[in-house]
Amino acid sequence: MHVGRFVLIRATQIVVTFFIILTLLFILFRVAPGDPASMVVDPQMTPEDVEAIRTLFGLDKPLYHQYFCYLKNFFQGEFGSSFYYGKPVINIIGEKLPNTILLFTTSIILSALAGISWGKVIAWKRGSFLDSSVTMVGLVSHTLFLPWIALLMVWVFAYRMNWFPLTGMVTPELWLNPETGILRKALDVIHHMVLPLSVLFTIHFGGFMLIMRSSMLETLKEDYIVTARAKGLTEREIRERHAAKNAALPVVTSVGLSLAFSINGGAITETIFSWPGIGRELVFAVSNSDYPLAQIAFLLIAGLVLVANLVVDILYAYLDPRIKY
Amino acid sequence: MGIWQGSGRRYLLFFLLILTTLFVGNSFAASSELVINVGMKDEPKTLNPFKASDSWSLKVVHRFYEPLYTREPKTHKIIPWLAEGYPEYDEATNTAIVRLKRTKWEDGSPLTAHDVVFTGRIIREFRVPRYSYAWRFVKEIEALDDYRVKFVLERPMAIFMPRTLMTFFVQKKKWEPVVAEARKAENPLKHLLAHEVTKPVSCGAFKFVKWARGAYVRIERNENFFATGMEIGGRKVGPSIDGILFKFYGSMDSAILALKKGDIDYYWSSIQAGYLKDLEADKRIRVFKNQKSGVYYLAFNVRKPPFSDKVFRQALAYLIDKDFIVTRVLQNEAQRMDNIIPPGNQFWHNPNTLKFGKGMTRQERVKKAYEILTASGYTWGKPPIDAKGNVVRGEGLKMPDGQKVPSFDILTPPADYDPHRAMAGMLIHQWLLQAGIPACCKPSSFGSITQQVNVRRDFDAFILGWGNLAIDPDYLRTFFHSKEDRPNGRNPMGYRNEWFDKVSDESAAAMDEEKRRKLILEMEKFIIEEAPYIPLYVPYEIEAARIDRFVGWNEDLNGIGNHWSLLFIKPAR
Repeated sequence: MHVGRFVLIRATQIVVTFFIILTLLFILFRVAPGDPASMVVDPQMTPEDVEAIRTLFGLDKPLYHQYFCYLKNFFQGEFGSSFYYGKPVINIIGEKLPNTILLFTTSIILSALAGISWGKVIAWKRGSFLDSSVTMVGLVSHTLFLPWIALLMVWVFAYRMNWFPLTGMVTPELWLNPETGILRKALDVIHHMVLPLSVLFTIHFGGFMLIMRSSMLETLKEDYIVTARAKGLTEREIRERHAAKNAALPVVTSVGLSLAFSINGGAITETIFSWPGIGRELVFAVSNSDYPLAQIAFLLIAGLVLVANLVVDILYAYLDPRIKY
Repeated sequence: MGIWQGSGRRYLLFFLLILTTLFVGNSFAASSELVINVGMKDEPKTLNPFKASDSWSLKVVHRFYEPLYTREPKTHKIIPWLAEGYPEYDEATNTAIVRLKRTKWEDGSPLTAHDVVFTGRIIREFRVPRYSYAWRFVKEIEALDDYRVKFVLERPMAIFMPRTLMTFFVQKKKWEPVVAEARKAENPLKHLLAHEVTKPVSCGAFKFVKWARGAYVRIERNENFFATGMEIGGRKVGPSIDGILFKFYGSMDSAILALKKGDIDYYWSSIQAGYLKDLEADKRIRVFKNQKSGVYYLAFNVRKPPFSDKVFRQALAYLIDKDFIVTRVLQNEAQRMDNIIPPGNQFWHNPNTLKFGKGMTRQERVKKAYEILTASGYTWGKPPIDAKGNVVRGEGLKMPDGQKVPSFDILTPPADYDPHRAMAGMLIHQWLLQAGIPACCKPSSFGSITQQVNVRRDFDAFILGWGNLAIDPDYLRTFFHSKEDRPNGRNPMGYRNEWFDKVSDESAAAMDEEKRRKLILEMEKFIIEEAPYIPLYVPYEIEAARIDRFVGWNEDLNGIGNHWSLLFIKPAR
């Protein structure tokens, strides 16, 4: 099958899947117990006031009416306003998403690069002390309990040693000073990023490394590796050009999907480090039945995951010429 | 080897960058301004005062707007604030005239009667949900001149002073174009509430400086604040600080560390009892424990038997050991409640309500419940008191008409939402079972409980709470008035009593505070005996602040996080 045709078929599937997700999200939020209006109720409010809030949120209309409005608005690029913020959800996501991308995407990229590098090296030196010790480190890192390691790092490096800020993304006093330059501000953000980034790196690195290692071990058994040796290529050339490139396929899938999911942030990491990202916002939206915000945030994640799948499929064809569509 | 040879330079650069941030990041010149750093759990959702309903938004927004009247910090007595003296009220015409002090907005323009009238009219015209109930009975509002406002009421309403005249006021000049736009919109209220306030104009003690989304809100002292230098409750009104920097901490662990490290001077939120020991050991920190204006309670669906029977409800009240819940479940970080109005609200609280089972042992409770139920015609297959008078596990309770008491559910929030209420529910379930009352504790999500209770009204009993009740006790009327027995009404129990409706209506119309107080105290006593609600407890408000930085906090009902504290605090040195 020609790649163009493959992409077209997959794109159609993506559109259909996206539409199903769009509908499912609408249904799931409506069948979940809880009334968004009840979350803003004051003991003194009358039922008329509560009804006014429901009307304001558009919840007074029948469900089918709400659904068609939701679809119509979505396809017109009108994503609605948050029940709580009162402003368009797209603006809220626009404010928080860059922060999440900065932290989580950076962590995925760094941990993937380190995981791939170490994975191929330890697989190459399989059975050695380096292999067993680094594999052990990878296993521990992969199974660490995130809240525990995050709080521990905050306590040790931010509270006891005072090397890094406890939480947040910026130092307010510094950013409020009109004399602070852009470089100083950038360094301040990096300074705040170190701890959450280290935690995320620790959590993700092990997984990528272990996938790479096992994939590399499989690849090293292939005939073309023997052929490469027979041709007299250097160890480095065999490892980097012939083995690692082919072994990278499963890691590409994992990294691709992790990157797509990274925009969802991590509610736990963002909460512990008070990182102003989309993860905390998503949790707030779901727990307070802020349907418009939660729906669009989930749709964004779903859309990106679907697109990431397509990109991974195309990358496969590029990385492994044996794969034909 | 390969790793270090191939990527060594990249790793080195990376570590150098981290080291640079380490040295540069921790070094910045501290400002000479006297700014208090206040930690909050989340950032404000909006600065639009008509929209703000969450506690984080209100904590910031309330710094910019002031009401005509406020409550004195010690006695909670209503005192003139933006107003000059008390309103001149004419009973014959239901008209009140309020004079304003000569005060200014932060931009130097005078705050006039026109601003007050404008705000009142917006609330009325747009029916702003959060404030509408306090303005619905205001027939007319007009400015007699720049500093006199006339209110004409449809009927006398007790909440006129504590609610209507305690509403904030916005600047007409700033909001007029917004309101004009909203009037043209398809949904005017939605348009008004969606208006994004980027620079509020303050008449309060502080004015807005900057809000960096997700990071901080900075406000500073308003030099035009009218009350600076006044003496209230024996203390001089400030603010004596240059500003407030609000910082946000997603987890309490981080906030507590920030307090200990000195990143914040006060954490504006209740602190869980588990942190107390650690905080109390730090001499730079003071832990404040104050009464809270709230009530956590067990309520019944009194529309159906056996809950429609007052005696049955009272028997349940005897069986519930509130002291056990307070001492064991809440580790003494709460107060037993025998009233709907909390004891901290001294003026309105009636201390002489019936205290079901106070001081009784478990055996005495079961015996008392057995006695009153038996006297009322209830029978058991196996009574909880045997022939020798010993307490045994009862079974097969039947109502006076011979029908078996059906097994019923007590809805409680789940343990991950509120472990105290969940545990209280489980204990109550066991105590009732022991007396042969077939109860079953059913933890359910908060949303599910509100749906079942407030909308569908399909429930037996539930445990919920009001965490922030107003000082004005009008809620006592709305919680139990038969008019509120409707979907989304405040009386989901379906409680109906003619006497209560009559007295509570009288209390709502009593403009004389002493007369109203007498009625409210009677209502409290009556409703506790009727037991549609069984008040259980109210947790203490536990907070912590750095006393090496600021002193002079105003300890009040609901803690030190209040308007007065920010006006009274001073630097420690």
